[in-house]
Amino acid sequence: MILSLTNLTFQYPDTEIPVFRTLNFSLDSPGFHALFGASGVGKTSFARIVAGELTGFSGQLYIKDKSIVLYSYNQERLPGWGTIRHFIDSTTPSSMIEMKKQLIDIFGLSDCINLRFSQLSLGQKNRVNLIRYLLQEFDLLIMDESLANVDERLRETIILKIKESFPDRYFLYISHNLMEITKFSDTILIFRDIEKIPQTLTLKGLDIASREMPDRDRLETTVLEVMNAC
Amino acid sequence: MLARRVLQFLIVFASGLIFLMILKYSLTLSDYVIPSPLDIWHTGKDILTVYFFDTLNTLSVAIIGQIISVFLAFSVGIGARKSTFAGSFIKAAAYNIQAYPIVAVAPIIFILLGDGFITRLIIAAMICYFPLLLSIIGIMSEPVTDIEHFYNVTSRMRWQLEVKIRAFENMHKLITVISGSTTLAMAGTIVAEFIAADRGIGHSIRIALYQSDLSRILTALFLIGIFISVYQGMLEWAGERIGNRWHVSN
Repeated sequence: MILSLTNLTFQYPDTEIPVFRTLNFSLDSPGFHALFGASGVGKTSFARIVAGELTGFSGQLYIKDKSIVLYSYNQERLPGWGTIRHFIDSTTPSSMIEMKKQLIDIFGLSDCINLRFSQLSLGQKNRVNLIRYLLQEFDLLIMDESLANVDERLRETIILKIKESFPDRYFLYISHNLMEITKFSDTILIFRDIEKIPQTLTLKGLDIASREMPDRDRLETTVLEVMNAC
Repeated sequence: MLARRVLQFLIVFASGLIFLMILKYSLTLSDYVIPSPLDIWHTGKDILTVYFFDTLNTLSVAIIGQIISVFLAFSVGIGARKSTFAGSFIKAAAYNIQAYPIVAVAPIIFILLGDGFITRLIIAAMICYFPLLLSIIGIMSEPVTDIEHFYNVTSRMRWQLEVKIRAFENMHKLITVISGSTTLAMAGTIVAEFIAADRGIGHSIRIALYQSDLSRILTALFLIGIFISVYQGMLEWAGERIGNRWHVSN
């Protein structure tokens, strides 16, 4: 187990309603896991607490010793004075050079690698940002809408590549795409309104690892389960 | 940009002259108080060359003072960008000193150093330093979270990179602040020359003032305005070139 949260309660200063109340969650096995819920229910706050970027919560947060947790989000930018190639090269460890080439190719960024960040489309920006995180040393990577503005087919390709290339790492993927979450995630942590008890539910996704179409009935059942849980 | 700046100044200067003439003729003031347009023209023609070199002398001191201020402000601003005790102390001190009229300190500098180049330089630098420092501290202490986040969480952030990111992201602000400080540096130098110096356009204005010669003062003002406009225009042009070279988006 890399991550465990027990009775997590968090409230932003100068607000009256807490974001979480006695939330419990654990991440037991590596793989592709998801956080799902309506906007404003606390997915990003949860992710930032796990990444150590937000403090002031009560309850217990356990992260396995020396584990590296990275949090990436879709509004991050690269500096503007150089090309994408320059910034990716300068932050890629030598052990990941081969992986870098593969990811650039599979993420569909070969044509824009010599452009500057400001010259990219929103989807390209998000893919570039995700690549540089994937090339870092990490145990758990939280991807907060990291594939927003990327077309459906390419998103699937990217998720499958991540699952194939990093089988021993943990991923927490935040997305509003119900079908994508259901198909590709192992564990889905569903965030609900603060009034609902319990505030979060954990469901199992289909954890598909290839392009094969999943069993239709199973997919529909899981999608309905997730929808009903929200 | 350069032409626009000069044109703007010419319009303002011409408006001022017209106002003076309206005042002169409506109140029937003598040529001794406000000279006639012809007097101003003749005096201007006679002393243009002398005043031109005087203004150039003043501008050169102002430029050196401004360069020193910019370097100092960047050094201190970069050092004070963190919310440490030293950073907070420097910020508080800068705010307090900024609120104090530096010109009032000028006589002390004259007493200690006498008149001359160094005194003019120090006053020019002091007058434009504190506003520059406050702007640069403001820019340097404001994190660009969307860019810096990756470098922070991957432990790749170095102070040089942090400064580069913040300077790049605020390039237009920095150019505006530096360009704007030109006027302060020039004002500082003129004030220094006006109080006690043996050269520069401020010194010439002081002599003209003792002679109650408004024509000379107006000629000096005309040259100061033209020089500042040209210099500011050149700074903005240089800033634009740097921005284009760095691909800074507007």
